[in-house]
Amino acid sequence: KMAAAGGLRRAGWRLWRGRAAVRCQQYPPLRALQASAALRRAPDEHKKEPLASSSQQHFDSPPAGHQPEQKPQGPYSSYTGQGGQESEDYESEEQLQHRILTAALEFVPEHGWTAEAIAEGAKTLGLSVAAAGLFHSDGSELILHFVSECNTKLSELLKKEQKLVQLGEAEKKPIDEFLRDAVEARLRMLIPYIEKWPQALSVLLLPRNIPSSLNLLTSMIDDIWHYAGDQSTDFNWYTRRAVLTGIYNTTELVMMQDSSPGFEDTWRFLANRVADAMTMSNTASQVQSTGEAVVQGLMGAAVTVSNTAGL
Amino acid sequence: MAAAAAPALRCSLWQRRPLRRGPGVRPAPGGGASLRLCSTRVAQEGINKPVIDRIIRVDHAGEYGANRIYAGQMAVLGRSSVGPVIQQMWNQEKDHLKKFNELMVAYRVRPTVLLPFWNVAGFVLGAGSALLGRKGAMACTVAVEESISEHYNNQIRTLIEEDPEKYKELLQVIKQFRDDEQEHHDIGLEHDAETAPAYSVLKTAIQLGCKAAIFLSERI
Repeated sequence: KMAAAGGLRRAGWRLWRGRAAVRCQQYPPLRALQASAALRRAPDEHKKEPLASSSQQHFDSPPAGHQPEQKPQGPYSSYTGQGGQESEDYESEEQLQHRILTAALEFVPEHGWTAEAIAEGAKTLGLSVAAAGLFHSDGSELILHFVSECNTKLSELLKKEQKLVQLGEAEKKPIDEFLRDAVEARLRMLIPYIEKWPQALSVLLLPRNIPSSLNLLTSMIDDIWHYAGDQSTDFNWYTRRAVLTGIYNTTELVMMQDSSPGFEDTWRFLANRVADAMTMSNTASQVQSTGEAVVQGLMGAAVTVSNTAGL
Repeated sequence: MAAAAAPALRCSLWQRRPLRRGPGVRPAPGGGASLRLCSTRVAQEGINKPVIDRIIRVDHAGEYGANRIYAGQMAVLGRSSVGPVIQQMWNQEKDHLKKFNELMVAYRVRPTVLLPFWNVAGFVLGAGSALLGRKGAMACTVAVEESISEHYNNQIRTLIEEDPEKYKELLQVIKQFRDDEQEHHDIGLEHDAETAPAYSVLKTAIQLGCKAAIFLSERI
């Protein structure tokens, strides 16, 4: 028991130090496999189920109206060239953490984004509650994991819709409607966790988490524009994404304060912001064409004057 | 140990990316499951996204700049004897830009943030060199095209080192464009670029500028 706890502590310490080095990754760097092995050897707990690929189909999906986890993450095939320590379908550190965090989501409405939720999640997988020690106590990884999963779901939803349009089975939506629906779909994924979401937002803003959370935000916005059919290759690329990021963030904040039935105030706010953005872009293009017309007029006047003056 | 090495390799692959992007789906070493940890987009399977991103971004910026340079030159020398020559080279650059616009959308690459700057700088360079006369304009063309040819050659080398089969289409495009730019370079020389005022100074300065532009556009 002591060896297992010691192994976990060491692994946790390495986690702390290694964290700063990782920029794009959402999870602690992979460490020695001893940590997860130690988890499994923890006495007084249920013997962990064999890590067959079917086991990961058993994790619970988040409660209430939430889309169930899409297809399972694929077979966890073995790493070759192991120390021969474990059975053939040994899963990686990351995959284990992924499973624990997914299982933990179910307990978030009750416990918040905390180590308790992670511990409960680990228990449902038959792991020791000490598994929560693999993660930060402020729930950073849990939140980042959740955001990442939501973004993946959104991506798949948009891809499915795109396929339907391509097959001619659905109408292509106008841009403002598309953006509205995409942002609404993404924000609806927060509804089961809405009580605890403000806490999550503040954790995401911790300096330590900002690179990852920013990364996730920008890829999500880029995805939405991509499926909306944005093909800009000039500075508009940046303008559009900045505008949509603003819309998303403000709507999210409004949603936190919204107590109307079915969040209808939020959706109305969203529709207004998207309409504003469309107006802004229309106005911008009008200004540009007016500007061009004015310049042409001035050039014409200059040519006329120079001709008249015999220059 | 292979297992420790494999995750470390994956870590470093992700760290090579520019910060704003999430890693795409990558086949895990050992042929295992690809976990989408922080990705929200499906990367085109198997391509080296950071390298391709840079290549397309900088090439797009380069063609955009070249367009503006020729536009500046035409603004000054459009009605002179070399007007048609410059116009023809400009038309080819327009085709190049169109192609890179398509590639940029296909590979979902972000354009460089400096595009408005290259817009102005390119035009000023073209117009400025043209104000030195026909030969000045040709000297500018020679300098820029030489830089670009060398740069394309570097990219071709990089892609061939990576995987010539996987990037066949891109390689073909870049090779074709490199040949076009080389042709422009030769046209510039034919039109007495070397007898331009302060030719070597001009050429060195412009090539330095091109190197800086390439460096920045790859990253920002």
